[in-house]
Amino acid sequence: MLITLIRRELLDNLMTFRFAVAIFIMLLLVVANTAVLLKDYDKRLASYNTAVKKNRQELLETKTYSAGHISLNRAPNPLSIFNIGLDKRLGNEIWISYVYMPTLWDANKHGTDNPFLNLFTSIDLVLIFQSVLSLLALIFAYDSLAGEYERGTLRLVLTHPVGRGYILFAKYIGAMICLLVPLLMSILLSLILLTTSPSISLSTDDFLRIGGIVFTSLVYLSLFYLIGMLISAMTRRTSTALMLAMFVWGFLVPVYPNMILTAVETAPKIGTEASAYNQIKQIWEKHDREQKQFLANDAFPGDDWDFNLIGTGYSFWGGEDDPLTLHYYDYTGSHLETLEEKYELRVPHAQNYHHFLGTNIINTVERAWLIRKPALETIYLQPARIGRMLLKVSPVGLYDGATEAWAGTDLKSIQDFFSAAQRHRRAIVNHFYDKEIFASRKWFTADQGAVDWNTLPQFSFQRSDIGTNAKRALPDLFLLMMINIILFTIILLIFVKSEV
Amino acid sequence: MIWHIAKRELYDNLNSLRFALATMLLLGLMLTNAITHLREHPERVQKYRDAVAKHQSLLTSHAENSLYELAQQGPGRLYKQPSPLRFCAEGGETFLSDHAEGGYHRWSTDTLKSFWILVYPSVTPNVDNVHPEVTKVDWSFIIGYVLSLIALLFTFDSISSERERGTLRLTLANSIPRHTVLIGKFLGALISINIPFILAVLVNLLVISTSSNVHLGTEAWERLGIIFIIAILYMCLFLVLGLLVSARVQRSAVSLVILLLVWVTFVVFMPGTLASIAGGSASSGPTRGFYEYSWQVHNELSAQYRSRRRNASENSTQKVQSAGEYVIKDAEQQERLHEERLKQRIDQVNRARIITRLSPVTIAQHLLESFAATGFERHLQFLENVQSYARQFRVFIADSDKADPESLHILGVRAGMSEKPVSPEAVPKFEDALNLSKDFNIAATELMLLMLFVVVLMSGAYLAFVRAEV
Repeated sequence: MLITLIRRELLDNLMTFRFAVAIFIMLLLVVANTAVLLKDYDKRLASYNTAVKKNRQELLETKTYSAGHISLNRAPNPLSIFNIGLDKRLGNEIWISYVYMPTLWDANKHGTDNPFLNLFTSIDLVLIFQSVLSLLALIFAYDSLAGEYERGTLRLVLTHPVGRGYILFAKYIGAMICLLVPLLMSILLSLILLTTSPSISLSTDDFLRIGGIVFTSLVYLSLFYLIGMLISAMTRRTSTALMLAMFVWGFLVPVYPNMILTAVETAPKIGTEASAYNQIKQIWEKHDREQKQFLANDAFPGDDWDFNLIGTGYSFWGGEDDPLTLHYYDYTGSHLETLEEKYELRVPHAQNYHHFLGTNIINTVERAWLIRKPALETIYLQPARIGRMLLKVSPVGLYDGATEAWAGTDLKSIQDFFSAAQRHRRAIVNHFYDKEIFASRKWFTADQGAVDWNTLPQFSFQRSDIGTNAKRALPDLFLLMMINIILFTIILLIFVKSEV
Repeated sequence: MIWHIAKRELYDNLNSLRFALATMLLLGLMLTNAITHLREHPERVQKYRDAVAKHQSLLTSHAENSLYELAQQGPGRLYKQPSPLRFCAEGGETFLSDHAEGGYHRWSTDTLKSFWILVYPSVTPNVDNVHPEVTKVDWSFIIGYVLSLIALLFTFDSISSERERGTLRLTLANSIPRHTVLIGKFLGALISINIPFILAVLVNLLVISTSSNVHLGTEAWERLGIIFIIAILYMCLFLVLGLLVSARVQRSAVSLVILLLVWVTFVVFMPGTLASIAGGSASSGPTRGFYEYSWQVHNELSAQYRSRRRNASENSTQKVQSAGEYVIKDAEQQERLHEERLKQRIDQVNRARIITRLSPVTIAQHLLESFAATGFERHLQFLENVQSYARQFRVFIADSDKADPESLHILGVRAGMSEKPVSPEAVPKFEDALNLSKDFNIAATELMLLMLFVVVLMSGAYLAFVRAEV
C-alpha cells in the first residue's frame, strides 16, 4: 500500500510542468555557475603556484638568516566551488618569522588584483540549492494536503484501511524522491565538469565530503518540504497555503539572514583593543630598553646595533605597528655578502648581541602573544561567533554552516592553516635554538658561505581529515534533523486530529 | 471602467493575507534600516569631520613653515564626504576607499626629497573580516529583492485565477475591451502594493528625520523623491511581468513557479554570475608586481639623473635646475603610473557593470546608488574631484612661487623655491561637491533601460492577454 501511495505522489509531482521548468532552470544555473567557479578556482590556483615559486626563489637568493623572508601560502580549496565560505575572502599568504606570532589577521593576499571587484557578490553551488531547491520543496508541499482536501481526494484515500501516518509518510517519501532528482542531477553535472577540469583532482575523502554536502542538502530540503506541509495542513486552502509558504520562504531565505546581521552589530569592535594594544606596546618597549642596556654595557662600539660592520650588502631595521590587529614588532638584521677585514674584531661582539637579541625577541613575542591571543578572540572572533549563532535561527544559516564545515571553508578550517603556520614558526625557532643560529656568523653575514635553506624544517599543511570535517558539520546537521523530526511530529498530530 | 476594475482589484487585495504579510515584512525591514542608519551615520560623520580637521591642521602647519614644504608634502589625505542617504543604498562603500592620498612620501636622499603624488589607496576589509557575509538591509535591498518578490506575489494570479474560477469570462462578456481589464488590474495591483510600501517608507523617513543626529537637506529630499519614483518604476516592471506570465499560463500555481524561478535567476543569480564572468576576463596584475615596476621606473630615472649630474658643470643654478627637473619628472611619472593602474581597474569594473545591467535588479541598484550618492559612480566622481583639486593645488604652488621675487622659480628643490610661509587661508580647500544634475546625467542611460524593460514587458503582457483564450 505504501508503495502505491508513494508511486502516486511521484507521478503527481514528476509529470508536472513546474517540475520540468524547475529542473531546466536549476541545471542551467548549476552549469553556468560551475563553469564560472571553476575558472575562478583555476585563477586562484595559478596565482597560488606563482606565489609559492616566487617566495621560494626569493628565499634561496637570500644569503643570511636574518634577511630570510619565509612566506607560507594557503592553497585554494577545490571544494570551495560548493561552498565558498571564507576560502577566498581571508588572507592566503603569511610571513613566518621569529619576531611575531602569525595569525589570520597578519596574513596578506597573494596576487590581489583589482580590489574593486569585491563590489560584486560571489556565488557558489550551495547558494543555488539553498534558494532554488528550497523554493521547489515549498512548491511541492503547499498543496500536498490542502490540495487533497479541496479536491476531496483525501476523503477517498482515507476510505481505504490505511493509517493517516502512512499517508503522510508516503507523501513525504514521494516528494523527497522528487527533490532528490534535481539535486543529484545538478551535483553529478557539476562533478562531471569538475573531473574534466585538469587543475582539480578530487580524492576519495573529497568525494565523501561532497557526499556529506549532498546529505546535508537533502536534510535541508526535507525541512523546507515539511514547513510547506505544515502550512498546508494548517490552512487547508491551497491559495492561502501558497501565499503563506512564499512569504515564509521570502522571510527565511533572503530576508532574515541579512536583516538580523544588519540589526545586530557584529562588526569587530574597533576601539576596545586600546588597552591590550598598550600592554603589547609596553612589552615591546621593555624589550627595547633591555636592548639599549645590552648595547650600553657592551665593551665594543657602544650603541650601534649593527656594530658598524661594513662590507658589501645592506643592513636593515624593520617593524610594524597596527593597533587594529594588535600587530606590533620590530627587528634588525643584515645581509652582508662580504665583510671588510678590519671589522673582524667586532664580529664576536655582534654574534653575542644577536644571540641576546634573538632570545629576547622570542621571549617578548611569547609574552605579547599571551595578551594578543585573548584580545583578538574578543575583538574579532566573538562577534563573528554571535553573528553565526544568530544566523542559525534560520535553517539557511544551519545549512550554510554545515556545508561550509564539510567543504572545509569554514573559519575553523582556515584557522587550522594558521595554527599550522604557528607550529611551523615554533619549529623554525627551535631549529634556530638547536643549531645556535642566532649566535652564528651566518645570521648577519654571508662572507663565509651562504645559508643552506634546505636544512630548515619544511612546512606541510594538509586540510583537516574527513573526520574533523564531519565533527564540525554534525552539530548543525543534527539541529537540522531535529527540526525535521519536530516538524514531522507536529504535522502528524495536526493531520491525525483534523476532520476531513 | 478602468477605475471600476482597479477598485475591485484593490478591495480584493486589501482583505487578503498577502497584503497583511507584505505590510509586516516591509515595515519590519524599513524600521531595521532606519534604526541601523541612526546608529551608524553619526559615527561616520564624526569620523569624517575628525579626519578632515586633522588633515587641515597638518596642511596649515606645512603652509606656515614654507612654500617649499607645502609643495613637497602636498595637500595630504583628501576625504570623501559621507552621503546622508547611505540608508538608501550601501553601494559597497566598505569596499571603496574613503580617501585619496595626496602626500605620498616615497624617497629622500641627503639633498633631495620626493615630491608628493596623488595615489589611490584600495581597501580590503575582507582580509581580517571573519564575520559572516551579509548584504546590508538598505533601500536597494528592500526594493530590489523584497519589493520585487512582493510585486510578483500580487500579480501572479491576477488573470490566471480569474480564468480558473471563470470570472474572467464573465467580465469579458460585458462590453469591456481587454486592454481596459489589463490596465485596471495593473493599476489595482500597483495601488495595493503602494499602500504598504508608502507606509513603510514614511515610517522609515519619520524615524530618520526626527532624530537630531541626522540632518536631511533640501537636496536630499529631492534625491529621495527621485529614488521613490525609481522604486515605483521598478515595481511596475515586476507587476507587468507577473501579468504577462499570468495571462499566458492556464494555472496560477504554474504561473507562480515560473515567476519565482525567473525571479531567482534574474535577481539572485544573474548579477553575481555575470559579474564574475566579466570581471574574471582580465586581470589587472598583482599588486606586488606594480610596486616592483614603479620602483624600477624610478631607479632608471635616478640613474639618468646621476649620470647627467656628473657631467654637469659646477654652476650651481644649473645643478639646482637639473635636480628640480628630476624631482618633478619623477613625481609626474609615478603619478601617471598610479593613475594608469587606477584606470585599468576602473575599466574592468565598468565592463562588469555594463554586463550586469542585463539584470533589472542591478539597474535599480545602480540607479539608487547614483541618487543616494554612494557606490562606484560616486567614487569615480570623488576621484575626479580629487584630481581637479590636485591640479588646482599645483597651480597655486606655482603662482605663489612666482609671486616671491627672492625665489629662483625652480620647482622641486628647496634651493630653487620660495622659503616664505604661506597664509593657510590662501591654500585652496578641497571640496567634495555633490551634484544632482550630474548624477542624473550619469543615471540617464540606466533609467532609460529600466523604462525600456517596462514598456517591452507591458506590450508583451498586452499582446499575451489580447490573444489569450478565455
